[in-house]
Amino acid sequence: MENLIVDNQYNIGFLCTGRQCQLGRGDRVAMRWLSPSLERRDYSFAELDRLTSRFANVLQGLGVSAQDVFFTYLPKMPEQFVAFLGALKVQAIAGTLFSNFGDDALLDRLGDSCAKGIITKKSSLKKLARIRDRLPHLRFIILVDVEEHLSADTLSYSRLMAEGSELFTVPATPPETPSVLHYTSGSTGKPKGVLHAHRSVALQSLTTQNVLGVTRDDIFWCTADQGWVTGTSYGIIGPWCLGITQVHFGGGYDPGTWFGILQEQGVTVWYTAPTALRMLMRETDDFYAGFDLGRLRHICSVGEPLNPEAIQWARRALGKEVYDTWFQTETGAIMIANRPGLEVRPGSMGVPVSGIGVAILAEDGSPLPDGAAGNLCLREGWPSMFSTYLNNNAAYASRFRNGFYYTGDTAYRDPDGYYWFCGRNDDIINTSGHLISPFEIESSLLEVAEVAEAGVIGVPDELAYEKIVAFVSLHRQASYDPQLELKIRLYVSNRLSTVATPAEIICIDAIPKNKSGKIMRRVLKARYLGLDAGDLSTVEE
Amino acid sequence: MEILAELTEIFREVFDDDSIELTRQTTANDIDAWDSLSHMNMVMAVELRFKVRFALGELPALRNVGDLADLVAKKLARK
Repeated sequence: MENLIVDNQYNIGFLCTGRQCQLGRGDRVAMRWLSPSLERRDYSFAELDRLTSRFANVLQGLGVSAQDVFFTYLPKMPEQFVAFLGALKVQAIAGTLFSNFGDDALLDRLGDSCAKGIITKKSSLKKLARIRDRLPHLRFIILVDVEEHLSADTLSYSRLMAEGSELFTVPATPPETPSVLHYTSGSTGKPKGVLHAHRSVALQSLTTQNVLGVTRDDIFWCTADQGWVTGTSYGIIGPWCLGITQVHFGGGYDPGTWFGILQEQGVTVWYTAPTALRMLMRETDDFYAGFDLGRLRHICSVGEPLNPEAIQWARRALGKEVYDTWFQTETGAIMIANRPGLEVRPGSMGVPVSGIGVAILAEDGSPLPDGAAGNLCLREGWPSMFSTYLNNNAAYASRFRNGFYYTGDTAYRDPDGYYWFCGRNDDIINTSGHLISPFEIESSLLEVAEVAEAGVIGVPDELAYEKIVAFVSLHRQASYDPQLELKIRLYVSNRLSTVATPAEIICIDAIPKNKSGKIMRRVLKARYLGLDAGDLSTVEE
Repeated sequence: MEILAELTEIFREVFDDDSIELTRQTTANDIDAWDSLSHMNMVMAVELRFKVRFALGELPALRNVGDLADLVAKKLARK
């Protein structure tokens, strides 16, 4: 990796900003920010360095120190990037939260991590206010859209930044220093905090170059929200520690706007998600003929398996190749991928990244032959491997056996070394790239007064890969009607998140459970899909 | 109650944000929680409140809240 790391200084906040200035890239555009209304504002690496140093001083002034947890809870906006990198500069643990999270989702994450501070918008204050008395460790809230402090602990970003110095000496940060925190769903229990270390930068930068194929002359656009590991690993860290210009857009999905950005900003490498590509496939080929994509070299994809139709569509309608990549929150960086220079096998995950040990193992840990589906495992010790699940070492240990990390995915390898995803081996739902726990949604549904029982499943969906279907049974006095459906939808949306909102809610008499009370989701799934439910001997009537 | 005022009430409940002040020019870019999924909740809430139904092709053509209010008014006038 060029001469990025000097004197064992692995601090990601520094490597993405100050180090770039030291390498003579201070005047280069780091971020081309496009507001939702497409107003453009360029931030150089030097400016990003100054802003993040200011924010580091702000956090220090508020009592944040190494290993304190600080969260961003923002839509995509410049302050998101400043706060994230500024927090890393002070060696705080930088967590990112989707801006569509509701208060239950916030409470789980802020509570478990004992977060000390959070930066958000005024519109989210209501959610935080509802849970603040249950967050004794939360000392302050910074608001990006108020001019003055609202109280002693609800503070104005602009006011704080105006008072902060832009001189900050980043402390020496060895590779094992905790860095980034993302919460991920488990099939049972609360979400787990996946903690990474600053050493992850080594593989994030390497894969940015060798897998995504991005060079310093490129203009790179990663559409992922920073709530996702993709949004931090490849929407912040990988490109910026290499001095690469990134486009970031604050608006939502719109085919015309997105392709206008690709054309007008001269994006050369675009990293997006299968759901987005499948939505784009709905437009006619004529629509795309109106855009000049001459500068776009290729597209990469991540989040869910990319169906071969999307690859064929991109070749035909855009004249571009799409390279599907695979990784997880826990892996921190891409592990298996199709990439420029390799033959793309449409529908496959691709081949392992150089240096990554991948194996397909049986339940007893023995390796399976090519063509046999089994546990997709990674040999432990890759540079961006997560350090632990925060406050849950037992869960962390349970993911490793005999030197292998068990990903929870099932896959097989073909004789040419390409890997093919078969599915999850738990109940986790992957909807539009968001991994959602049915348990969390069921818990939320049970908080609706009329709901007596709930069972949640994921079923195949043409657009989102999987969609969430909720089965509910009601208390005797309640009746199911559109008003109750709306009430349920709003409850889940506002307490958990909009992405956790069921696409369908089906009212049934009773939720099938086994004799120990466990919800039999496979029975619900079979019922929904019109399939044989198999052995029903353990269903409790 | 004026349609815009009723829509404001609906939006505050759907998007869980009491600070929302709708104008005819308001778009999804102006409301933090307005994404494609919460949009479906909003549509359902508007249909239930005004007891109207939107046809499949009617909603994508709406540019802002003003267009939504006009569409609701048109449907109410037909009743």
